[in-house]
Amino acid sequence: MALDPNIRINLDRSVVLLVDDNPQALEALSAMVRGFGVRKQFKCGSGAEAMHYVKNQELDLIITDAQMPDMDGYDFVRWLRRDAPPELIFTPVIMLTGHAPRSMVEKSRDSGANFILTRPFTPEILLQRIFWVARDERQMVKSANYVGPDRRFKNLGPPLGVKGRRKDDLSTHVGAAVDPNMDQNEVDMLMKPARVQI
Amino acid sequence: MSKTEFIKVQHRLSQQVAKPGGMTADIATQRARRELAAQAGDAKKSLGVTIGRLEAMCAEKTASADDIYVESAVVLDIAGMFDMRTLCDASYSLCELTDRLRTKDRQDWTSIGVHVNALRLIWSKDDKDADQLKSVVDGLWAITDRLDAS
Repeated sequence: MALDPNIRINLDRSVVLLVDDNPQALEALSAMVRGFGVRKQFKCGSGAEAMHYVKNQELDLIITDAQMPDMDGYDFVRWLRRDAPPELIFTPVIMLTGHAPRSMVEKSRDSGANFILTRPFTPEILLQRIFWVARDERQMVKSANYVGPDRRFKNLGPPLGVKGRRKDDLSTHVGAAVDPNMDQNEVDMLMKPARVQI
Repeated sequence: MSKTEFIKVQHRLSQQVAKPGGMTADIATQRARRELAAQAGDAKKSLGVTIGRLEAMCAEKTASADDIYVESAVVLDIAGMFDMRTLCDASYSLCELTDRLRTKDRQDWTSIGVHVNALRLIWSKDDKDADQLKSVVDGLWAITDRLDAS
């Protein structure tokens, strides 16, 4: 489902941490994020370095590669969700993966990232995921075995601002009221059975 | 049993994206594409160097499946940022092949060599001749899938 090209997005004041052990991929990611209008971004090449930034900077979004030597993206997000400073444990995370080895599937599922984005991807797709993360209304779950967004499936319709594929595809997001509240008489009239002449 | 907590979190990012100003998604992606295009030359060189390392490994035949996997994942990482789909498909097949080989504790330099040659071919074509290259990638997957049967 494509992001509406006319939708406005303001990332001027967002502070983003980018983590990838491959310098070329990190530069490309940084270029993309700069294009989206992010002015303040930190780049680092390992999970350990990323931990340092989390402890010392206010961050609004983290985009991390999944596979890195020593501390991979999954372990980094696990640490973030459990042991990071309390005000940062629920910082939104987009995890980038390439190939997912079979041994990593469970680890990936349980890491606690908000979204997992598979390579190859385009700037449109990354921007869409950032938008989804920003509008993500899932509760966070904190339990012994898992800390992260609620993974239980619930049909909330298409994300707000995104057209559904079917004509009756509506988001369940109600939004702010646009008309004045109805008075009690009007409410009663909506429900009152009326005799009709056939 | 430990208690499970459900916490409603309001991210700062949610408030920031909705603030007045910013740009449309269309403009943002166009700008990102321009920024990416400036990096494409360096990325292509890096991909060439990484494929060169894979070629050297195939010539020496001493590297482990893990080493091949790591280099192939590098190709996938870089190519994936530039939406080079054919190169990604081919490197994904090599990742899958080496992952299956290491799981079975086997080595198959012929299959790895075919993959590496294909990576070089696709890299040199810059994702042009898509139909022709698709049949190359299909062939790579046939090799990788054969490993499950054997």
